[in-house]
Amino acid sequence: MPQQVPRLIAVFVIAIGTLVLARRFLVPETFGEFGHYRGAAVDSIAARPVKFAGRQACAPCHGSIDAQRLAGHHRDLACEICHGPAASHASAPLSGKPEIRRERALCLLCHAFDPSRPTGFPQVDSVTHNTRIPCMTCHAPHAPEPPVTPRECSACHGGIDRQKAVSHHATLRCTTCHDAPESHRQNPRAVLPTKPTDRAFCGGCHSGMPPGGLIPQVDLERHGQPYLCWQCHYPHFPEAGI
Amino acid sequence: MQGYIYPNEFELQWGLLIVLYPYITGLVAGAFILASLERVFNVREVQPTYRLALLTALAFLLVAPLPLQAHLGHPERSYEIFMTPNKRSAMAMFGFVYAWYLTVVLLLEIWFDYRRDFVRWARESRGIRRWLYYGLTLGATDVSPRAVAFDESAGRWITVIGIPSAFLLHGYVGFIFGSIKANPWWSSVLMPVVFLFSAMVSGIALVLFLYMLTTMFRWRKIDMTCLEKLAQFLFYALVVDFSLEALDFIHRLYEAEESIQILAQMVENRLFLSLIVLQLLFGTLIPLGLLAVFSPGLRKGGFVRASAELKQLVFLTSAVLIQIGIFSIRWNVVIGGQLFSKSLRGLTVYKAQLLGIEGIGVTLALLALPFVILWVLVKIMPPWSDEPAETGSNAPEQPATA
Ligand code: HEC
Ligand code: HEC
Ligand code: HEC
Ligand code: HEC
Ligand code: HEC
Ligand code: HEC
Ligand code: HEC
Ligand code: HEC
Repeated sequence: MPQQVPRLIAVFVIAIGTLVLARRFLVPETFGEFGHYRGAAVDSIAARPVKFAGRQACAPCHGSIDAQRLAGHHRDLACEICHGPAASHASAPLSGKPEIRRERALCLLCHAFDPSRPTGFPQVDSVTHNTRIPCMTCHAPHAPEPPVTPRECSACHGGIDRQKAVSHHATLRCTTCHDAPESHRQNPRAVLPTKPTDRAFCGGCHSGMPPGGLIPQVDLERHGQPYLCWQCHYPHFPEAGI
Repeated sequence: MQGYIYPNEFELQWGLLIVLYPYITGLVAGAFILASLERVFNVREVQPTYRLALLTALAFLLVAPLPLQAHLGHPERSYEIFMTPNKRSAMAMFGFVYAWYLTVVLLLEIWFDYRRDFVRWARESRGIRRWLYYGLTLGATDVSPRAVAFDESAGRWITVIGIPSAFLLHGYVGFIFGSIKANPWWSSVLMPVVFLFSAMVSGIALVLFLYMLTTMFRWRKIDMTCLEKLAQFLFYALVVDFSLEALDFIHRLYEAEESIQILAQMVENRLFLSLIVLQLLFGTLIPLGLLAVFSPGLRKGGFVRASAELKQLVFLTSAVLIQIGIFSIRWNVVIGGQLFSKSLRGLTVYKAQLLGIEGIGVTLALLALPFVILWVLVKIMPPWSDEPAETGSNAPEQPATA
C-alpha cells in the first residue's frame, strides 16, 4: 500500500471520530424526545423566573389608572406593554419602580405610519405630526383622545389615502363612494360608513357617457360580468393596464 | 414602496450578504471546473493556471460560509447543523455539501498535487517552515516514482469525483432558490443549471484575471497560448450561460403566468440598472462581442489581427466586466426575488446599509478576504512552475513516470 493511504485514512478517521465524539458531548441528551429540539428545553423554559405580572396584576393598586385605560382607546393594551416587565414591582412595589418611557419612540412603535397596519388603525407620520413635542403633551397615554376630531379620513385611513392619491381615482373624494357620518370620526368602530354595493354604482361614472371623455367607459352589460367591479379592480387603486 | 404589498414583505430578509454567498461559491465551483479541465480532459494549454485555479478555489471556499455566518443572528450556534441535521431541509444540508467538497475534493486534490513539493520544500527550508512543510506532508515523505505515480492517479480520480461535486456545490445553491415554489422569480428547474454555468463563467474569468495579474507582478511573460485558451473557454461558457438565461427568459415570457406583469414592472423599474445595464449589456453582451472578435472561440486567432498587448487588455476588460455581470446576476436573483409582493400587486425597495454586520463595509471586507488568503497560500505553496528548478529541466508538474 502506498505510504499516503494509511496517513490519509488516519486523518479522516480522526476527523470523523472527532465529529462522532463531539456529537456525543454536544448533542443534548433529550434531543428528539418530542421533536427536532431538546426535550428538556420545555422544563428549563418553565423554570425561568417570571418577569411579567400579567394584565390583571396592576388594577388592585392602580385602580384609577386602570379604570381610565379601560374606558379609553387603549383598553386593549396591557400596562406592561409600555411600562416593561413589572412582576417584581407588583410583588414588592416599594423596592423597585417600573420604567416610564416618555419619548415619542414609545408611541411611534405602534402609531408610526406603516402600510401594513390594518384598516382604520390610528397612524401618524412621525415627521409631520407635531415634530419633537412629546406625545403626552396632547394625548394622555392612559386614555388617549385626539384633542380635536380628525377632519381628514387620512388621519385613520392613511394607507388607503396614500394609495388613492397616486391612483387614477386621485381626484375622487372618499365621500363620493362612502357615506361617512360625522360620528364615524368620533367613534369609528361603532358607526361604520357605507360602501358601494353594486356594479351600477361604478357604472354611474364608467358607463353611459360618450366615449373619448376623461372617464374611461365600459359596457356595463358585458364588461366583467357577473362579478362586482371590485373583485377585479381595487377601488382605491384601480388598474386596467396591468 | 409602490402598489400593494403584504405586511411581511416591507423589509427584505436576505440582503447583500446573501448576494455575496452564491457569488463566492460560484467562483469556487468555476475555478475548480477549470482546473479539472486540465486534469481530466488533458487540456495542456491551460496547465500554467492549474494550481492557481485550485488555490483560488480553496481561498474562496474558505470564505464562502462567512457571509452566511454574518447573516445569522446567532452564528455561534451554526455548528449545530452538523450535530443535529434536519434531513428534510435543503438549507441544513449545506454544511455537509460544503464539508464534502472542502475535505474530500479540494484539500485532497491539492494535497496529492503538492505532496512531492512539500517534501522537497521541507528538505530545502529550515526552522519553522521546515516543520510546516513536514506537517503538510502528513509524514508521507516517500517520493519514489511509484509513490509519485500514485499521487498522480489518485489526483485524477479525485478530479473525476470532483467535477460532479463542484456541480453539486453550486447546483445546490441554485436549487435552494429554484425550489422555492411560492416565488415566481426563483421557482424554476433551470435555476441550478443557470447557476452552474454562470459559476463556470465567473470562475474562468477570475482565474484569467488572477493569472494575468500574478504573472505581470512577477515580471514574467504571459503565456499567450494559455491565455487564449482561457479566453476561448470563457467565450464558450458565456455562450452557454447566455443561451440558458435567454431560454429561461423566453420561457417565462411565453408561459406568461399571472406573475409576468409584476415581474416585467420590476425589471423595468427596480432592476433596470442591475439587470438590463449591468448584467445584460456590460456583463454579457459586451464581453461576448469582445471575446467573439478577439478570442479564438469562433475562428482561430480571432477575427482581427491584434497585438498580444491589445488582446491582453481586451481579455482583462472582459474578465472584469464579467465579474460585475455575474455579481449583478446574483443580485438580481436574490434581491429581485424579494422586491415584488406575492400579491403580485406591488414592489418594495431595498436599501443596503453602509455599516453594520450586513452592510456594504462587511461585504467589501468579505470580498477582499479571499485575496488575502490566496496571497498567504501562494506564499506558502507557490503554484508557479517557472521558478528556476534546481533539479534541472523537469518542472514539478511533469509526471515523473513517462
Ligand atoms: C401591591 C400594589 C401594587 C401593584 C400590584 C402594582 N403597583 Fe405600581 N406602584 C405601587 C406603589 C405603592 C407605587 C408608588 C411607589 C413609589 O412612589 O415609590 C407604584 C408606582 C408605580 C409606577 C410609577 C413609578 C414612578 O416612577 O412614579 C408605575 C409606572 C407602576 N407602579 C406600574 C405598575 C404596573 C405596570 C403594575 C402591574 C404590573 C403595577 N404597578 C402593580 C403599587 C403597586
Ligand atoms: C400606551 C402606553 C401606556 C400604557 C398602556 C400604560 N401606561 Fe402608564 N404611563 C405611560 C406614560 C407615557 C406615562 C408618563 C405620563 C406622563 O409623564 O405624563 C405613564 C405614567 C404612569 C404612572 C405614573 C404617573 C401617573 O400618571 O400616575 C403610573 C403609576 C402608571 N403609568 C401606571 C400604569 C398602569 C397601572 C397601567 C395599566 C393599567 C398603565 N400605566 C398603562 C404609558 C402607558
Ligand atoms: C402597543 C401598541 C400601542 C402603543 C405603544 C401606543 N398605542 Fe395608542 N393605540 C393603540 C391601539 C391598539 C389603539 C386603539 C385603536 C383602535 O381603536 O382601533 C390606540 C389608539 C390611540 C389613539 C387614538 C384614539 C382614537 O381616537 O382612535 C391615540 C391618540 C393614541 N393611541 C395615542 C398614543 C400615544 C400618545 C401613545 C404613547 C404614549 C400610544 N398611543 C402608544 C396601540 C398603542
Ligand atoms: C401638539 C399636540 C400634539 C402632539 C405633540 C401629538 N399629537 Fe397626535 N394629534 C394631535 C391632534 C390635534 C390630532 C387630531 C387632528 C388630526 O391630525 O387629524 C392628533 C391625532 C393623532 C392620531 C390620530 C387620531 C385618531 O383618532 O386616529 C394619533 C394616532 C396620534 N395623534 C398620535 C400621536 C403620537 C404617537 C404622537 C407622538 C409621536 C402625537 N400624536 C403627538 C395633536 C398632537
Ligand atoms: C378616528 C379615526 C377614523 C376616521 C377619522 C375615519 N375612520 Fe373610517 N374607520 C375607522 C375605523 C377604526 C374603522 C373600522 C375598521 C374595521 O373595523 O376593520 C373604519 C372603517 C371604515 C370603513 C369600512 C366600513 C366597513 O364596513 O368595512 C369605511 C368605508 C371608512 N371607515 C371610511 C371612512 C371615511 C370616508 C372617512 C372620512 C370621512 C373615515 N372613514 C374617517 C377609523 C376612522
Ligand atoms: C371609487 C369609489 C371609492 C373611493 C373614492 C373610495 N372608496 Fe373606499 N371603498 C370603495 C369600495 C367599492 C369598497 C368596498 C371594497 C370591498 O368590499 O372589497 C371600499 C372599501 C373601503 C374600506 C374597507 C375595506 C378596506 O379596503 O379596508 C375602507 C376603510 C375604505 N374604503 C376607506 C376609504 C377611504 C378612507 C377613502 C378616501 C381616501 C376611500 N375609501 C375612497 C370605493 C371607494
Ligand atoms: C365619480 C366618478 C367615478 C366613479 C364613481 C368611479 N370612477 Fe373609476 N375613474 C374615474 C375617473 C375620472 C377615472 C380616470 C382618471 C384618469 O384620467 O386617469 C377612472 C378610472 C378608472 C379605471 C381605469 C384605470 C386605468 O388604469 O386606466 C378603472 C379600472 C376604474 N376607474 C374603476 C372604477 C371602479 C371599479 C369603480 C367603482 C368602485 C369606479 N371606478 C368608480 C371616475 C370614477
Ligand atoms: C372579471 C374582472 C373584471 C370585472 C368584474 C370588471 N373589470 Fe373592468 N377591467 C378588467 C380588465 C382585465 C380590464 C383591462 C382590459 C380591458 O381593457 O378590457 C378592465 C378595464 C376597465 C376599465 C378601463 C377601460 C379603458 O378603456 O381603459 C374600466 C374603466 C373598467 N374596467 C371599469 C370597470 C367597472 C366599472 C366594472 C364594474 C361594472 C368592472 N370594470 C368590472 C376586468 C374586470
